[in-house]
Amino acid sequence: MGAVDLKVGGVVFGTILVFTLVANAIPQVQSDVPELIAFGAEVTAEELVAAGEGLFEGAGGCIACHAESAGARGPNLVTDYQGEGTIGQRCGDRIPGLDCKEYLYQSLTLPVDHLVDDYPPIMPALDRTMNPQQVWAVVAFLQSLGGEVTVTGADIPTEDAAGDAGGGLAAAGIPGVAGSDPVEIVNQECALCHLFAGGGIELGPPLDGLGARMTADEIRISILEPGAGVSEGYEELLGAMPATFGDRFTATQLESVVSYLSGLE
Amino acid sequence: MIQDRSWAGAGRWLLSAVVALAAGLLLAETLVAQAYVPPDYGADFPVIGSRAAVWIVAQVHLMFAAFVLGVPMFAVIAEAIALFGGEDRYDRLAKEFTRLLLVAYSATALLGGLFVFLLTTLYPALWSYLSEVFRISMWMYAGIFFAESATLYMYYYGWDQWKKGRAKLGHWGLGLLLNVWGTIALLIANSWLTFMMSPPGDLTPDTSPATVQFWSAFANATWMPINVHRLIANAVFGGAIVAAYAAYRFLKAKSDEERAHYDWMGYVGNMIAIGVFLVLPFAGYYLGREIYEFNQQMGVTMMGGFMSWLWIIQAFLIGVLFLAGNYYLWIGLGRIPGGERFAPYTKWMLLVLVVGVIVWATPHTMIADRAELAAMGGTFHPFLQPLGVMSAKNTAVNLMILTTFLSFLLYRRANKNPTVSWARTGTLSQGIVLLVCALVVLFYGIAGYFVPAIVRIGFSVYQVLAVLFTIIAVLVLDILIARGAESRGDIRWGRMPPRSQYALFVLVVTFTWLMGLMGFARSGIRQHWHVYEIVQDTSAYAATPALGYAAQIISASVVIFFLMLAFVFWIGGMIAKPALVPAAADAAAAEPVPGGSPGRSGSGADRGGGLEPGLEPLPGT
Ligand code: HEC
Ligand code: HEC
Ligand code: HEM
Repeated sequence: MGAVDLKVGGVVFGTILVFTLVANAIPQVQSDVPELIAFGAEVTAEELVAAGEGLFEGAGGCIACHAESAGARGPNLVTDYQGEGTIGQRCGDRIPGLDCKEYLYQSLTLPVDHLVDDYPPIMPALDRTMNPQQVWAVVAFLQSLGGEVTVTGADIPTEDAAGDAGGGLAAAGIPGVAGSDPVEIVNQECALCHLFAGGGIELGPPLDGLGARMTADEIRISILEPGAGVSEGYEELLGAMPATFGDRFTATQLESVVSYLSGLE
Repeated sequence: MIQDRSWAGAGRWLLSAVVALAAGLLLAETLVAQAYVPPDYGADFPVIGSRAAVWIVAQVHLMFAAFVLGVPMFAVIAEAIALFGGEDRYDRLAKEFTRLLLVAYSATALLGGLFVFLLTTLYPALWSYLSEVFRISMWMYAGIFFAESATLYMYYYGWDQWKKGRAKLGHWGLGLLLNVWGTIALLIANSWLTFMMSPPGDLTPDTSPATVQFWSAFANATWMPINVHRLIANAVFGGAIVAAYAAYRFLKAKSDEERAHYDWMGYVGNMIAIGVFLVLPFAGYYLGREIYEFNQQMGVTMMGGFMSWLWIIQAFLIGVLFLAGNYYLWIGLGRIPGGERFAPYTKWMLLVLVVGVIVWATPHTMIADRAELAAMGGTFHPFLQPLGVMSAKNTAVNLMILTTFLSFLLYRRANKNPTVSWARTGTLSQGIVLLVCALVVLFYGIAGYFVPAIVRIGFSVYQVLAVLFTIIAVLVLDILIARGAESRGDIRWGRMPPRSQYALFVLVVTFTWLMGLMGFARSGIRQHWHVYEIVQDTSAYAATPALGYAAQIISASVVIFFLMLAFVFWIGGMIAKPALVPAAADAAAAEPVPGGSPGRSGSGADRGGGLEPGLEPLPGT
């Protein structure tokens, strides 16, 4: 290694360092996974609106086109569009025969069917990326902007496994996980190593009453990254739980198991 | 060493420009900075986690793949110049590079194997899905690799065997074949990753992958634009690596002959890199348009969503490329008799470049979510918004391209004294065409502010056409003017200050880093999908990380790549001693005209030892 090598190395590493620093100096924005939500029939309007607002302003990506500034790609939904008011005010008058709720649901899932005048058909169909519960939450949020929220638990289909986003994997004949009923899944996949509902094998900690010990987030992490933290008394078994559930579960399956287990008091 | 004042001056200019640029960026940062806590990426792959493991291996594999694709392009062109133009040194150049390919090839294959291993173990479900869809082409890909290696071995080891006449032509054919294999491999691999980005519209999450039509998955919406963009980028990459290799050898050279040779090699590499680089923006806009066409939301995510800052970093990197490439050319004028005439112009060109970079790097639409919007002070950048719109950016990049082209022109003209009767008029008309073009570009740039977006997009086409027309017309004029020109003296190859060579390192590192960044852009726009809107990423790594984290991964990949490359070059040096040093002496001995050279400029004494010093920019640049 001569002086030349050192200088060349210096220039190379220095340049790389500058780029790394510059990229770390700018605002750091991460793109999150849309939160999966599971509602029962007794869901309240407030819960729906809150969930819908989160999607609208965050992972749903709506702001990219429906910004409030002039020149946005899509019509303003939040304040006013051409004197017709907010989306919650105008949704009922858009298409004769469609009430607000139906109009909104259709314009989200079949956007090309009811184009707002002078806009190109660029709005993505929402049901490709969201499950029906998320779509209905967004509808509720839009209604809440100046209108009355009429979405209820009755609109939301309970059996939604079919529209589930991770389904491509199951169709691939991969050792995915069958079924949508959390009890069934836990019996099949987890009872091999965990005591559960009077059955199962005692290798890891029992799953009964899990909700009393862990929050939903902690459970989700334990399933996705079993190595991340160890349960007390099971230190030697760290690594025994497979880390592949994240890959094998569909998103809906995962969320239903998590919410089921966290509900076990 | 040349110590002409004006060149040192240009260096200082450049330095202060870069410092100013960095300071400006840091200032912009403090204006919009916000608290950010990097997420805690867990670990199923030890320490760095599955995503980072796959990411780094895939990226380094891709860099090597680009290298073994780009360098053969370079080699056949060089061999062709030797074959059809009778310039022997190009033949030696081609061979020297093919030797490096041998080792680089194994590295590529090794990394490819490691990549597949990681995919199958860490992301088994995705792997099964893709192999279900693409089984046939995966086998073909493996087959191509064998054919390509065989061709490469014949090409290299047959070099001295098939030296003359028909055999040489056949040998050159092998080089072409090598490129054909490489390109097919690129087309196949690109189909996989573009499928993940833009799967055919009739696919749904419930479609069984076994029933997917192979061809519709293969030739998907973004396949062709990525092919074009990458092919061009790989040629640039090949040139940049050649130049850096030569720079290293130059700095290490012990004799004037060696210095002269590697100076020349660095010049050729840089020429290819920068020349081909100029068309990359056009290919990039084509790709961008197809992405929007495929899915508006994806386009919006890419340009205006959480990735908007990425394009500012991209502009910064491309600015560094423009500056480093031009800086090298300007210093290079110093080794050309007559080059000093043009020195005063360089500071104005520098000014255009720096202003161009700043305009280009100005944020335009910055939308991620409400919180970020509030922090930014609106959809548009608070002060710089008028500069941030597309028409300003297009104008900036077109003017930068014109400026770089002008650097080339000065370079070509430096040691020539035109003798054609209309030389003055010709040069004047060149100037006028360039000026008019710059005005046209500016005019549409300014007019773009007063028309709706849809018309504005048309304007950018006029700008591009004006620039392309100008480049062709001015170059043709230049070739005509140079006919029978007197020489002001030959290029003094080897008489370059060392700092010029460091510019070549900056160039190659920046370009490699840019590749890594754009790879992140391509896979990042899929967000939490493995296959966009079809197969969701349900692993712990589904969220797409912010740029800071991505930059660290990219830097790690670039460092690994260069360490491996250094190793490859080192091994390559052991396989055979660089043929050039002794060969140069041989060539001098064998030269029939004592002291003279068969250079095509046809005049001048040979001052560069046995190496012929004629200036002849590569055809086609
Ligand atoms: C790629 C741009 C784009 C994105 C992203 C987008 N939209 Fe739209 N949206 C449009 C355009 C353009 C229109 C007008 C044409 C039409 O009706 O489809 C529109 C229309 C609408 C309408 C009907 C408005 C009216 O006045 O009747 C609603 C409601 C709507 N969008 C909601 C949403 C929601 C909620 C999201 C996020 C989940 C979203 N959009 C994401 C572009 C977009
Ligand atoms: C091959 C055996 C095995 C399987 C299958 C398995 N686990 Fe586990 N699990 C373990 C072991 C061992 C531990 C304790 C060590 C540790 O924390 O990693 C554990 C720990 C856990 C914990 C943390 C509990 C605590 O009290 O900290 C949760 C939650 C959990 N598992 C849930 C599940 C779920 C849900 C499934 C089915 C989807 C499952 N496990 C399948 C072996 C298994
Ligand atoms: C303006 C000048 C541009 C330059 C110099 C440039 C340079 C590059 C380079 C070097 C690569 C890596 C190629 C490879 O890995 O083989 C790349 C890839 C890419 N570029 Fe560009 N680019 C430019 C413009 C654009 C534009 C305008 C867009 C889109 C709007 C774009 C989108 C992409 C994407 C998505 C990739 C990813 C390809 C991949 O690695 O998979 N580029 N670009």
